[in-house]
Amino acid sequence: MHRFKYTKLTPDQIGAKLKTVVETGPRSASSFSSALNGKTLKIVTQNGPTLEYKFAANRRVSVAVDGAKAVSAGYGELTLNQIVFFSHLMPGEQKGYNVFIDQKTNLATVFEVWLSSGIKQNAGRPDEFALDDREVQRQIYFGHVDTGAPAATKLHHYTNRMTGKGLHWKQDNGIETIELYVSVANTNFVELTRHIDDLSYVSPSDYVLVDDRTVIYNRTECEFSGIHTCFVADLYGVKQVGVRFGFNDKDELEYYMFKGDGQVVGQIAYLENFDDHGIKPMFAATAAAPPAKGARVTYRPVHTFPHMTDEQMHEAALKRTSAFGSGAAAQAPPQAQGLGTGNNLPFSHILVGKQFTLRFDYGPVRDYKVSDMNKLQYRNHGDAAWIDAEYRAYEGDDNLAWFSHILADSKPRASVQVAVDFTNGLATSIESHMGTEYYGNETTYRAIFGVVEMPGLEAPLYVRHELTDELVGHCFSWSYSDQTTSMHVYTSPHSMSWVIFTGAQQMGAEWCSPCIYVKLREGVYIFCQNEEACNGNQMIELLNTKASHDCGFTFNGSARGVSLGVTGAIGRHIGKFDIVDFYGPKKRSA
Amino acid sequence: MNVLNKTRRSFILKMGAGASAAVAATVGMARGEAGASDNPALKAALLEEEMALRQLHRAYERAMDKGLHEEVVGMFANDAEVVFNGGVFRHSQGIARLYRDRFRSGKTGGSMQPAPGFELTADQQREQVEVSADRLSATASFPYSIQVGMPFETESSLAAMARLHGEGVRTWWEGGVYQVAYRKNAAGRWQITRLEYDTLSRADYRAGKSYAQPIAVARFAMRFPEDQQGPDALVQDGVAAI
Repeated sequence: MHRFKYTKLTPDQIGAKLKTVVETGPRSASSFSSALNGKTLKIVTQNGPTLEYKFAANRRVSVAVDGAKAVSAGYGELTLNQIVFFSHLMPGEQKGYNVFIDQKTNLATVFEVWLSSGIKQNAGRPDEFALDDREVQRQIYFGHVDTGAPAATKLHHYTNRMTGKGLHWKQDNGIETIELYVSVANTNFVELTRHIDDLSYVSPSDYVLVDDRTVIYNRTECEFSGIHTCFVADLYGVKQVGVRFGFNDKDELEYYMFKGDGQVVGQIAYLENFDDHGIKPMFAATAAAPPAKGARVTYRPVHTFPHMTDEQMHEAALKRTSAFGSGAAAQAPPQAQGLGTGNNLPFSHILVGKQFTLRFDYGPVRDYKVSDMNKLQYRNHGDAAWIDAEYRAYEGDDNLAWFSHILADSKPRASVQVAVDFTNGLATSIESHMGTEYYGNETTYRAIFGVVEMPGLEAPLYVRHELTDELVGHCFSWSYSDQTTSMHVYTSPHSMSWVIFTGAQQMGAEWCSPCIYVKLREGVYIFCQNEEACNGNQMIELLNTKASHDCGFTFNGSARGVSLGVTGAIGRHIGKFDIVDFYGPKKRSA
Repeated sequence: MNVLNKTRRSFILKMGAGASAAVAATVGMARGEAGASDNPALKAALLEEEMALRQLHRAYERAMDKGLHEEVVGMFANDAEVVFNGGVFRHSQGIARLYRDRFRSGKTGGSMQPAPGFELTADQQREQVEVSADRLSATASFPYSIQVGMPFETESSLAAMARLHGEGVRTWWEGGVYQVAYRKNAAGRWQITRLEYDTLSRADYRAGKSYAQPIAVARFAMRFPEDQQGPDALVQDGVAAI
């Protein structure tokens, strides 16, 4: 995930590739429409450009921006109900326009899109950086077609009406995506046909209301390829027409228009006040007025994530490896370190007085001896010497222990998070260690399955805990404390996203990571995620959906050392998307 | 109605609620000249000064509500000090550090309704303005009910994402009394020379919540520059320690 090797395309490289499509305009698998052939239009926008168009035959258009000399370019046009949508680039520039016109009302929404922006993020601060030239920028203008009649006062506007909705789209070129619009400012999407792993990604988005059935949408894959997708959707017929513009993961320029058919796959609750209609976009609500051109709410974690080698990480671990130490770092989930985790479950004495062996299939066999609520002894089965370790345990369900400790003297530093079912004789261990092939300060995990052996308990021969997709599509808010809540979207069998709320309960900033899910019992799961290409932290939770509570551990490393901590939260089920059937090899081979 | 307070050689003007609809009773006071009540011109002048000070305080509150921290800093004399949560912020630099940096990043100082169950008593809500007879200095007390906050001190992803919303701040409610001292400058303009947040209660309250619990907030423990937004001095046992 997040591991595409994107080339830092230069403005010259970008310009050279754009030149090849300025004259031709976008491609389309479906036939273009010709609603604008021979027409002249003047579009006046609020706080934006005035665009004067003359549409000729053969998909040629001349355009004059703000009274400047008209230039000629190729364009593409598609219609959806009363909406005519056209897209073109500007010759000699690295920008273009995507224009949606409502032919009933003469209202227009104009997207100016451009590359090689030179925009500086965190300008003037030590962590300033320039956005990649390949990242498509967008600025949305609302306006109308000047027909000589008095200008309309009520224009298209931003909306939260799409918030919480999920759609599956299939375009006329075969591209299929699941798009979960769980935030007013982002989309969590899965490219079912482009990538093999069904991983979900998050990109900043805008939602514009045309009328009660018609919405204009866009997303730009910031932090990834930078490509831009923009369309208008009719939610009655569940159809779309739109454009994709930018450079893909293979550095190919994509500039095509599409039609698509959709299916609503769910609607989760959106929690803002009922009189909040999302008219003010999040980027404007938080920016100094007026927001800078192109402003958007974009989380860019990897830009601030320092790179450490394996050796650097281990050096830091030798100086400090902390298991459940005091202080905030040890008491919060990776996303919430320092924010408090007052809603965790209490620790349990479930292991105290027990001695048992965990035998994992094709994996380690470990003996445990526990006489204290915070300290245990373990050894590799067959070793004579016991090793002391600090641990914490919860009782995540009846007679189900969930505990964690550091593996002593491990290199790279490793920890285990272990579920032991003393009723059914089953055990699962999440084996975690520092380091990936990309960063020494990222974590890696795997789940191993086995049994618990102890007097009076029959260990099964065949039954095991197992990976599951039962949580896929579900959304839970998790409140670690009264100050910190994050909603998890279990988007696909191997990935998730998390969304945080504004003070007004709007779902806003969002990011994504790979993860796994293990079913322990009915309604009881292990959820393990690694904030890969983000901050490298790992959260390993036992989710008890019967009690709507989770409890678990965090494991992470940095220049300050390695830390194993605890976390837990009160959950609320926010809703579910019916998407699990879209995933997996069966779907792809069908 | 005028009431002479001979023991303090000052007089008290009971103004009623006209100066502030939110206040049950307001009191104006001039020190030093027992004859003020017999001097209509002085009385009128003192009333005028008192009104000016009330207006200055309302302007302070409005600016805090709107986040106009520069405007607030401009209300203080160059040698002024502010006492807040066990820290003393001195002179223009210290006061700017408090308002521009600490209060801005912590979303602190804006008015909010009192936390349920934590409303100030009628006595605590009483406003009082006392103008010196020479009309060059004054003291006052005004009740406050404000939001106080502190940015999450973490680089976690949730905090970073919250900052994208302009949030990532732990907030709570505080109620108390501003204890303020004023001085008139050479241009005849009133300036604040000392402002103390005399905090009476704190609660884990935000607008819309139906209940609140009392909370404890750690006082300043480090001075500037160790704490980049910290005070110039710490108040220890009621005394500012340098």
